[in-house]
Amino acid sequence: MASAFLLDMTRCIGCEACVLACKAGNELPVEMQYIELIERTSGTFPNLVGGFENHRCYHCTDAACVAVCPTGALFKEDGLTRLDRDACSGCGYCVQACPYGVPKMVGGRSSKCDACASNVGAGGSPWCVTTCPAQALQFGDREKILAEAKSRVAALKDRYPKVQVYGETQAGGLGLVLVLPDDPETLDIPADPPLVPVTVDVWKHIVQPVSMGATALAAVGAGVLGVIARRNHLAELKELEEQEKAGVAAGGSESTEEER
Amino acid sequence: MSGHDHEGEILRYRTRQRIVHAVMASSFLILLITGLALVWGPLAFIAAGGWSRYLHRIAAVGFISVPFLYILLDRAGAREVLVESFQYDHDDVVWFKKMYRYALGRTSDMPPQGRLNAGQKLHHSAVIIFSAVIVATGIVLWGFKSSLSPTMLAWTAMIHDLSMLALTLLLVGHVFFTYVYKAWSSMATGYVPEDEMKLEHGKWVEELEHQVATGSES
Repeated sequence: MASAFLLDMTRCIGCEACVLACKAGNELPVEMQYIELIERTSGTFPNLVGGFENHRCYHCTDAACVAVCPTGALFKEDGLTRLDRDACSGCGYCVQACPYGVPKMVGGRSSKCDACASNVGAGGSPWCVTTCPAQALQFGDREKILAEAKSRVAALKDRYPKVQVYGETQAGGLGLVLVLPDDPETLDIPADPPLVPVTVDVWKHIVQPVSMGATALAAVGAGVLGVIARRNHLAELKELEEQEKAGVAAGGSESTEEER
Repeated sequence: MSGHDHEGEILRYRTRQRIVHAVMASSFLILLITGLALVWGPLAFIAAGGWSRYLHRIAAVGFISVPFLYILLDRAGAREVLVESFQYDHDDVVWFKKMYRYALGRTSDMPPQGRLNAGQKLHHSAVIIFSAVIVATGIVLWGFKSSLSPTMLAWTAMIHDLSMLALTLLLVGHVFFTYVYKAWSSMATGYVPEDEMKLEHGKWVEELEHQVATGSES
């Protein structure tokens, strides 16, 4: 069963309570932060509209970070994108690949929201959701979250003519379903994030395992063959030595041909 | 010049050549292990915290410096390996046809070979080509990663990985032939048994004897 967040940006008041709850609850060190509130202004003066981008992991179903991660430190679970920092090798490919610019390198390893795996695993909710005073955040079964998002959109049509659900289809469907008061571009969110390139899949699922397998096979084959070949060569050298001895005695002839 | 304090042996690699080889071998092995740590889960702990990535870069500088070091230390040797590795004669073609016998440790009916046998020439030229590719892609991944699109990043990393696959397979072959033909001494002391060289590099020994006879320097 896929889980998802609901993030209603018509309700977010930019209080940053989620930012703090996330940091405190997950006991993140000073330099780590999974949620960032970024002020965005759209329109042209004097008709400016302000808003916040609640910048955090979008938990894509077709996650580019998971696709490029060489060690499997990033992986999908219950529709969410988890991160096992112990397995992270710090290559930084996820930082490059994410269409939303979410993962960051902290202390030489990737860092991003893992949807409070420990809380959720124990039947609770992510810290940000439990804290939000504006009911902008919810967490639960993705189908129910999508239905909630759509009903909120329907109720807000009069107030925000461009109100919309974001995340139903993007990147294979997001685990962070947003209710946006305006077009996603106004908050610097790509309307249609690029898909994971096929090259990445080929590289990770064909090139890497085949390379490892070929190297291991070659090493084992060379080991076995090496023992046989060395024995052959030593026998050949011994034969040569004996011939030389015999040759010195008999007046010398070059090595004989060995046909097979 | 062949050293006559080594009875029944001939000098195959000068000290400076062996230094270049040691720099290349050690930097390559460090690059292999620290690179593997980035793509293989069970080794990822080495890369934890990112320190192995710095080691990878330090070793990369060593690896890139190899051709320059060779030219600096032994210009004639560097020219020789570059020229000879890309020149094949008729004996080399015949050698390739019988290569499976050589791989099984039988040299007696192989055609006579020069300082480098045909397999070593192929090995050298392949190492030179794949090293150039891996250095080029490595420099891109080192300095220009952030300006690559995800597709270009995957392509660059893929070419980098495949070049390393080729070089690693070449290394397996290199170690294999070193073991089968007891060639360790050529890089450890520089000297090799003359009778074995007559068998495996007949034309080269003839050449050396000719040089000694005519009194010309090698």
